[in-house]
Amino acid sequence: MAALPGEQPSVIIDFLQSTLPFSLLDQAALRRLAAHCTVDFHPAGSRVLVRDQTRPRELFVVQKGGVKLTLRNSEDQETLLDYRGEGGCIGELALLQNRPAPMDATTVEDTFFLVLPGDEFLNLIKTQPLVAEFFLRDFSETFLPRAFAEMRERHAALSCDSGLYLFSTRLAAMCARAPVCTCFGESIQMGAWKMSKHRVGSLLVREPSGRVAGIVTDKDLRKAVALGMDYAAPIETIMSTPVVTMDEGEVCFDALLQMMTRQIHHLAVTRDDEVTGVVTSHDIMVLQGKSPMAVFRDIQAQERLEGLHPISERIPQVLRTLVEEGARAGHITRMITVINDLILEKLLTLLLKEIGPPPVPFCWLLLGSEGRREQTVATDQDNALVYRDPGDPILQRAADIYLTAFAERAIQELVRCGFPSCPGEIMASNPKWRQPLTVWRNYFERWIMVPNPQEVLNATIFFDFRPAFGELELASALREHVARHAPRQDVFLRHLAADCLQTRPPLSFFKNFVVEKTGEHKNRLNIKQRGLVPFVDFARVLALRHGLAETNTLGRLRRLKEDGHLPEELAKEAGEAFEFLLQLRLVHQLGQVEDGRKPDNHVAPTELSELERQTLKEAFSVIGRLHGHLRDVFRLELG
Amino acid sequence: MPRFSPLRSGQSPLQRLQRGLLRLVHPLFGPLTAPLLDRDGPARLPELQRLREHFQTLNQDRPLTEYEFTVLDTELTGFSPRRDEIVSVGAVRIRNLRIDPNQTFFTLVRPRMDLPRLSTLVHHITPGEVVRAPRLEEILPDLVEFCGTSLLVGHHVGLDMSFLNRALRREYGAGFNTPCLDTMQLARAYEQRLWEGFYDQFNMKVSYHLPDLAEAFGLPAFTAHHALADALQTAYLFLYLVRKLFAMGQAGPRRTPSLRDLHRAAKPRRFV
Repeated sequence: MAALPGEQPSVIIDFLQSTLPFSLLDQAALRRLAAHCTVDFHPAGSRVLVRDQTRPRELFVVQKGGVKLTLRNSEDQETLLDYRGEGGCIGELALLQNRPAPMDATTVEDTFFLVLPGDEFLNLIKTQPLVAEFFLRDFSETFLPRAFAEMRERHAALSCDSGLYLFSTRLAAMCARAPVCTCFGESIQMGAWKMSKHRVGSLLVREPSGRVAGIVTDKDLRKAVALGMDYAAPIETIMSTPVVTMDEGEVCFDALLQMMTRQIHHLAVTRDDEVTGVVTSHDIMVLQGKSPMAVFRDIQAQERLEGLHPISERIPQVLRTLVEEGARAGHITRMITVINDLILEKLLTLLLKEIGPPPVPFCWLLLGSEGRREQTVATDQDNALVYRDPGDPILQRAADIYLTAFAERAIQELVRCGFPSCPGEIMASNPKWRQPLTVWRNYFERWIMVPNPQEVLNATIFFDFRPAFGELELASALREHVARHAPRQDVFLRHLAADCLQTRPPLSFFKNFVVEKTGEHKNRLNIKQRGLVPFVDFARVLALRHGLAETNTLGRLRRLKEDGHLPEELAKEAGEAFEFLLQLRLVHQLGQVEDGRKPDNHVAPTELSELERQTLKEAFSVIGRLHGHLRDVFRLELG
Repeated sequence: MPRFSPLRSGQSPLQRLQRGLLRLVHPLFGPLTAPLLDRDGPARLPELQRLREHFQTLNQDRPLTEYEFTVLDTELTGFSPRRDEIVSVGAVRIRNLRIDPNQTFFTLVRPRMDLPRLSTLVHHITPGEVVRAPRLEEILPDLVEFCGTSLLVGHHVGLDMSFLNRALRREYGAGFNTPCLDTMQLARAYEQRLWEGFYDQFNMKVSYHLPDLAEAFGLPAFTAHHALADALQTAYLFLYLVRKLFAMGQAGPRRTPSLRDLHRAAKPRRFV
């Protein structure tokens, strides 16, 4: 109607251009779309969509402000499902499925919306596959793997053309031929003959029933010869039992891990519980160039403490290989844990050999991220030591002297092996954290029963303890103690829960990451503090509440879900988001180590791809949902 | 030139006095008094005459969503309607209480006077840019057509209207009698409500400049002193204020306020 056409304000186009998925459109499509947009405003607290009542005819895109999506149950309690910050969409589900809104949408800030007519939106979905993919996605199903793949590609610059698939090759593909078997009662000589005839290094031994009872390897034969055993003796006298088995559906990586954990070299592969073949660590190593197995063998082979020192330097190379082959952070941190545990175990064993057996049984405890099995390249030592109550003063003195010397040596050696000491002195060398079981029990009781907020917060890493070496019963007694008392101490749990809520992601997070404003890490994001810690804290407080012994965050989430303490959807999202953040941090640190810098937790959002950023935002948005859950569970109505 | 010229645009001294008086009481009764203040004769532009007749009567009791608004902003060479001139006009439509960014009006205007350097510093419109621009007279019919029978909204809209009406009267013998809503006045009323009940009622620090208000209320920001951007900014402000004035102190859905409600809410509180 205007004779003078007004120019189209570029604000709308500019905004759409910086907002996924509209940023995927070409200029012409963007212009067409902008021509249909209007701007609407709703003050904070307005109900934009009412579940099952509103039938949205339009798509709302948040231009400024924020909206929460909630469900209300019959008792009028609200469950927070999601936040939509700047650039987020509302009403897309209802439009796509042509039904009333599936949840309530309420503005939490004064919010301006860009309003897109429903027909235009549906038209866009039909004509623009990229936009369709964005809206029809399931966070976990399309975007997450793509983000992982993209990250991998970007960081695989040095990739040798290994073409190895540690994480995709199933065991079934590894055992090409049937296992060589023998029966009970056959002679050792006969067995050895069979092995050399078939050119294999191992022989399965079957019971008369046909069940596989044990395995004979070259090593066993060697032993038999060394001991001068009669060659005619029945083979079962030298076999190793039980045979560790794995289903042929498992990937090689898991087999490798299993071998390393059990310190064996042979695994029987089963299909429907029927043994179909044998896989050796060598088979996998042939497949694998720079292998974790090589590191593992190196550790095993060390007979002197000095030999252990350079090993941890090789870990980043191993991790690089794993990242390139598509290992997820969950795999990798487990691998780091296994290697570090092996180093520790070897180190302490050698040390014990050197200074003699302890006067009382003790157990070496790992705390914090080591306790949770979530180590990355840069791991400070966080450990402690618990020993059995000596019972009489003389033994007590002996234990004191021995363990002081032992712990101090151990810490020194660990530092030499490349594990920096803990700045907070939370180490077994500190007398405060080297105590008999009774004292440890009292420590935990004090934290749990008489919670002094600051003290509890400082002590959270202790609640993630895990036995690493020595008398494991001591640790399990302690864990049992905690599991018995913690669930009943509401004040203590509420302290922890309230602390979780402290690190809330601000709403403006979604459009712009909250980065450091000044200092060395300007414009960077502390991914540990802002991203990982909320998940760890969340899993810890719920695990304590339900008396779970598990310490790994992903494991805790899984257990909580299985026991029905956590909605399935939330647990799944939390697990995926957490793993993505772990991965991001790991890749970041790996890059730093390779550049010869000291690894840290400060990631620059600007250096990520758009997809990674979007996924990161999604991951952060899960934190809000976790907090909603905590608030419900602990009835913390802190706004 | 005498201060009051009795022979201007066909108005008698009595009419001028009446208008002066009514302008004094204007703040008491709000912007909707515009049709009452109108003492102009018939306009020589059919479109303008049509909308002038339309606004002889106005039902103020319909909900706000049923009215159309045109948010206006002008860039000027200075603040005196007598001496200064318009250099740019921008406008955007609000319909159903939603901004329609695709219905806009924008033009540069070539003034008769040279552009003062000071004004160029404000709005960044240079003399070179306006050389090819149309004269104000040439765009007035288009502007009148764009505004149509929608209500006018502006930030300190009185100033814009005095410039536009002066030109309209000169050309066609009559100006807009369209009721106008002033976002500055709405903002003042809103601020007063916010501070009601506080000891420190008159917060002298509040600035009613458009960019300051936009920042204080957390609105998306636009370039200041571009007629269309300012019109858009004012439109955002208008939406914000209308919704906030009626959202205060009550929760849950309620009926959409009428134009009369808005008028009432925007009155200075001292006179209520």
